[in-house]
Amino acid sequence: MNIKLTALCTGMLFTALQLSAQENTTAKTTTGTFKPVLEHRILAGFNFGATAPTSLPNTIRKINSYAPGFCPSLGYELAYRPTQKWGAAIGVKLDYKGMTVKDEVLYFPTIINTEDGGTFTGNFSGKNKTTVRNAYVSIPLSATFTPNEQWRFHLGGYAAWLFSSNFYGNVSDGYIRNGGSTGEKVNITTATFDFGKDMRTFDIGLQGGAERKVGKKLSVMGDLSWGLRPVFPSSFKGMDFPMYNIYLTLGVSYKI
Amino acid sequence: MKLRKLCCVAAMIGSLQACIKDAPLNPEADIVTFKVDEKQLTGQVFIDQSKASINLYVTPEALKSGIVPQITITPGATITKTPAGPLTAPASDTLHFDTITGRARQQFIVTAANGASSRTYSVRVVTTGIWQWDFENWVTDEKEKYQYPIEKDSAVLWSSGNPGIAIALTGTPKSPEAYPLRMTTDAYHGKGAAEMQTRAGTALSNLVGIKLFAGSMFLGVFDIANAFGAPLEATQFGQPSRGNVVRFTGYYKYTPGAFYQDREGNKVDGKTDECSLYAVLYTGTKRLDATNIHTSDRVIARATLADGTAKAGWTSFDIPFVYTRKAVAGEQYMLAIVASSSKNGDSYEGAVGSRLVLDSLEIVHE
Repeated sequence: MNIKLTALCTGMLFTALQLSAQENTTAKTTTGTFKPVLEHRILAGFNFGATAPTSLPNTIRKINSYAPGFCPSLGYELAYRPTQKWGAAIGVKLDYKGMTVKDEVLYFPTIINTEDGGTFTGNFSGKNKTTVRNAYVSIPLSATFTPNEQWRFHLGGYAAWLFSSNFYGNVSDGYIRNGGSTGEKVNITTATFDFGKDMRTFDIGLQGGAERKVGKKLSVMGDLSWGLRPVFPSSFKGMDFPMYNIYLTLGVSYKI
Repeated sequence: MKLRKLCCVAAMIGSLQACIKDAPLNPEADIVTFKVDEKQLTGQVFIDQSKASINLYVTPEALKSGIVPQITITPGATITKTPAGPLTAPASDTLHFDTITGRARQQFIVTAANGASSRTYSVRVVTTGIWQWDFENWVTDEKEKYQYPIEKDSAVLWSSGNPGIAIALTGTPKSPEAYPLRMTTDAYHGKGAAEMQTRAGTALSNLVGIKLFAGSMFLGVFDIANAFGAPLEATQFGQPSRGNVVRFTGYYKYTPGAFYQDREGNKVDGKTDECSLYAVLYTGTKRLDATNIHTSDRVIARATLADGTAKAGWTSFDIPFVYTRKAVAGEQYMLAIVASSSKNGDSYEGAVGSRLVLDSLEIVHE
């Protein structure tokens, strides 16, 4: 996992350096009076985070590993700054949000399918591996604050539409109680689950972040987006607790 | 930058670990093992977890005197013994039985550590009185809607793959007809007979490559815990028996389904499905299963129906047991009868629709 991250970071830094090297050296155009401006930006980065409950239920006993997966984020932002410091921005982004988590659960209510055709609704105890990889088109809307030449902050909300969903995994080395904790015990060597189709297609949440100039037109940015709508409908029985998209985008923005 | 990111991720994992809460209290309430003095047993104890009933196979003396079981339960749970319905018994460690019905005079209530759930286990001694079956009395499982035959004293001697198929049928409307073993009124004698019909896999089972479920029934028990990990070990064949069996007789009808298919569901030209029916006598009290019923050296006698082809009308059979060695006085035995509407059903081959009907079975003793 560290190797992957290192590679990602190096890649991004490299891109940033290259882009800033391409910058021409036109002089700064700081004038005494500020005129309202429209700014266009290309945003590119990677999402790190989790589709997770805000507080882990007590049926999750141990997190054995976490990997963010390859989750690019690419978008365009239109910002309007009527005053020197304050403004507003709207964007459109293609966001992959995902992760792979390995954990151990106890009496965990869920639904699983076994290799030879069984399906169970019941309480599972054992190991679990979950992979999430969802693609959203999201529209972030923010208020921006530009205190100086170097920094820009933004805070707002987003709406996102799911157009490709993956939420799958397997459970192993355990047992399930068919129907509930007093149902019959069925040993599970390995079984899979796939909840991709059960996911809600619309997500809405808060987002906010900061960017710092590193070149004439290039900035590095960090942006936290926090989903406020559980990714599964409340009628869904595969997970008995609400899960939210909580992701940090790390990347660059390029002013065009 | 790189470091910062690594720190972020590390912090995230760290914070997740910190969020791990105290373990929930155990919600389970099982009798895990139920041990009876080996000398009193004629067959191994079977705990039917789906019905919360414990089937004992004990000597007539133990039935009269009662037994002192050694019970283990789910860790943290508590167990209490209460009178079973109208049956009363003196308070002691001994579990007494009604000698006519075989029902224990007491039952066990296991309460989970979390206090929220409990299970009530009933205990009964299962005896095979007369080795004759007319399949007149059937019960429908309340939850899964499959049928199984019961004896006159309501004991359960026969089992089938139905409990396993119940799981493959999850999400489809359940009725006795959906299962490969059920009662039919198309009987040779009396009002009922046992009908086995090979059925197509379910949408769910197709996904994992099971295209067919053969109809089956057998003297024995179905161990649901193994239904998925090791399906061939889930079918536990045999009930306690005397050693002096001579012949296996009865009546059957068989209609093979239209197209024979292989494991992948491809039609195999020129091949017709056949049924399978056999009885096996073996030593010991531990049941054999589908992995070793044909190979175990504990088997001492077999009676196998040679002709598994189509029989439109009721056809009688009378098969002598062929012994590999003589039964010895003092040895313990178990006897299994195994029937299937597709003889290669254990490898998911056969013809959908193949129908085997059995009636008036008997094991003739010396």
